[in-house]
Amino acid sequence: MIKLENISFDHCIKCTVCTVYCPVARVTHLYPGPKQSGPDTERLRIKSPELLDISLKYCSNCKRCEIACPSDVKIADIIQSAKWKYSKRSLKISRIRDFLLSRTDLMGGVATWFSPIVNFFTGLGIVKFFLNTFLKIPKQRRFPKYAQGTFERWFNKNIKEQQGYDKKVLYFHGCYVNYNYHQQGKDVITVMNALGYGVEMTDEKCCGVPMIANGFLKKATKNAKFNIKSLGKAVSNSDKRIIASSSSCALAMKHEYPNLLELDNSPIADRVDYITRFIFDEFKKGNIPEMAPVNLKAAYHSPCHLERMGGVVYTIEVLRKIPGLDLKLLHSECCGISGTYGFKSEYYTIAQDVGNELFDRIDAVKPEIVVTDCETCKWQIEMSTPYQVIHPISLLAQAIRDVNKSGD
Amino acid sequence: MNYDCIIIGGGISGLTAGIKCVHEGLSCAIISSGMSALHFSSGSIDMLGYTDNGDVIYEPHKYIDEFIDSHKSHPYAKCGRDMVADSLQFFQDQVANRNVEFFHNNSSNHFHVTALGTLKPTYLSQRSVFNEKVRNGFANKPSIAIINFEGFRDFHPELAASNLKRNQLFNDFEIFARTIQLSEFNNTNKNPHEFRSIDIARILEKDKNIERIASQIKEAAGNALFAGIPALLGIHDSERVHRKLEELTGLIIYEIPTLPPSILGMRIDDALKTIFADAGGVFIAGDKVISGEIDNNILTHIHTQNYGKAHLTAHHYILSTGSFFSGGMVSEFDSIHEPVFGLQLDYPKGRSNWYSQNFFDRKSHPFLHYGVDTDNNLRPRDKNGDTIQNLYCTGAILANYDPIREGSGGGVAISTAYFAARQIIEKCKE
Repeated sequence: MIKLENISFDHCIKCTVCTVYCPVARVTHLYPGPKQSGPDTERLRIKSPELLDISLKYCSNCKRCEIACPSDVKIADIIQSAKWKYSKRSLKISRIRDFLLSRTDLMGGVATWFSPIVNFFTGLGIVKFFLNTFLKIPKQRRFPKYAQGTFERWFNKNIKEQQGYDKKVLYFHGCYVNYNYHQQGKDVITVMNALGYGVEMTDEKCCGVPMIANGFLKKATKNAKFNIKSLGKAVSNSDKRIIASSSSCALAMKHEYPNLLELDNSPIADRVDYITRFIFDEFKKGNIPEMAPVNLKAAYHSPCHLERMGGVVYTIEVLRKIPGLDLKLLHSECCGISGTYGFKSEYYTIAQDVGNELFDRIDAVKPEIVVTDCETCKWQIEMSTPYQVIHPISLLAQAIRDVNKSGD
Repeated sequence: MNYDCIIIGGGISGLTAGIKCVHEGLSCAIISSGMSALHFSSGSIDMLGYTDNGDVIYEPHKYIDEFIDSHKSHPYAKCGRDMVADSLQFFQDQVANRNVEFFHNNSSNHFHVTALGTLKPTYLSQRSVFNEKVRNGFANKPSIAIINFEGFRDFHPELAASNLKRNQLFNDFEIFARTIQLSEFNNTNKNPHEFRSIDIARILEKDKNIERIASQIKEAAGNALFAGIPALLGIHDSERVHRKLEELTGLIIYEIPTLPPSILGMRIDDALKTIFADAGGVFIAGDKVISGEIDNNILTHIHTQNYGKAHLTAHHYILSTGSFFSGGMVSEFDSIHEPVFGLQLDYPKGRSNWYSQNFFDRKSHPFLHYGVDTDNNLRPRDKNGDTIQNLYCTGAILANYDPIREGSGGGVAISTAYFAARQIIEKCKE
């Protein structure tokens, strides 16, 4: 018996609008498109897993189909869960790769101890050759650098400064800030402090997005339960809000926990948001910190997962408040990487073909910098174009710090 | 951060209103859940196509005075004839800037061919559907080839050809159906790929394919001077593709709307969204407005599915959520409601009164007439019957008109949007 709440595939009217807006179907006929891979064939799979058409593996889970759907079908969720529920597990070498790619916390935890060595090796041609040959990780793919130590450790050393604030926010830093790029976490603290908020953190695990994408649903569920409990407990006695500086982490906690993993996320559902939503609310109340002009021409790229949350508007409105920022909004296009998708040899060409549309549009603007909310979009754009990419919070932090500098 | 105007619904009506607002310097956001009915449309814009008796109207600008006199509560009566004319001109001018050129027949209606091969009066059509060459070309009774691409299941050339021939205007024309093969189809047999309109549009859009396909069309058309093909000539640059194809074949190439997704409609959607964003409008595509708070006849806040509590606010709001198909109205077994604000709807009791027994009834179905009744300024009443001062309704959610029977859907969507935007602009400038 299927659960009654899981029959959103039955609301599909077969209009094919989802396939029109699917970036993968646009570049390859290997993928039959979200309508066919999702709602059309779901009824067959329910009848017999034997009827699984494996071409659904080409779905990158960007979720643009769900934004386009006029009938509110959770198309990408259907495809993601079908991909793993009905496919036979084979012990292929690529499963080892998928495991490694999906355990961002495990890999990061180890790598941050030896980051100079790891960063050196992942850049070496011979290592890339081996990764390509044995693990099917494309040699063209550039890896994000690992940081020395974790952000959590840095934060615990500097926690005192945060205790002087009456108002607090709970910060979900995510794996990227913790293992790769501490500065973004520090920028979050700068911005929150300027808004009059002290930053708190609590125990957290990887949000689960890479595990969902790679079929480790049990592990994703375990992490999700941990996060719901841990974050929920940390805010239970207050009206504190939870902010995430990664748009995909926020999407996972808000949408994928209930819709895909079928978990009750009510302890955090109304509290957790992607960070620009929180800042938007403060700005709206008139709580706008002093900022120095940044004098930059920037092109803004909206990540798919932030689009899915309807959260792009908050980032745009916050960016518009930064003085001296000449902001050009890029037409909404997928950058192609979709988390770990572009890290796999079999999808690499597709990922780059998808991204070309966006890269061309960036090039047409010729900005001094590209702004985007998502770390994997950042990797993809920096690897595929000559442009530097910055997180909106880092841009805000820069404008705030520059005021203090000029005041010295 | 407090917008001048928030528009709920991103279809042809919401986008037209949004463009008018941002061009006048207003800050404006559109919240849209799912792609709009443009993806299901013919891509032509009707103004007034039929009288109440079902007779074809040839001169809609002349007929509209008489029409307004006899339909006092019709949205056109609220806009007034000049507003209707101005708004259609505005729409035509706007999309022309984005390479979607619309033509009318010297301010008269013209006929366009439907996927079934029937003729439908309409006011504005894209160049590939109606232009001077098409109009003059028919005078000499040319042979017409109706050509499909093998494997494309959303268009049936034999059906279109034989229906067209049954029409008395085409009785003594030579009309025949042909099918051509695209080599792109050969590579996809491994997959149950469907080849819907969008897939073929992407093939035709590519420069490297056009010469090959042009020569195939030319060969299939034989001695014909006209080639009717399903509307698949690309989305972003269809003008160029159409001209190129005509140039290479020497034929008059005529696009016929297909089953959804409608390429003709998507061209309009793409053009309007680009214009709106380029002018500084904010388009929010991933969220849905679920309710609002009305205080003292003023709409103060709206709530959305993803962000729950009130957060986005504006001085003025437009509700352009469409009719039943787009979710602007919802029908239960024995009741109909407007899901966002619970606005009053006028409809008779008893479900069997809502529709006609005959699906293709010339007089259409009563439910198409239902919608939100407004004051003369397009403002609706709340549950207590009081007019909401800063909310305007535009497009298919409005009551007292029937887009099918009158042939007025596009015109009402555009003119009411324009009228609401004009009022909001005036109030913001005060």
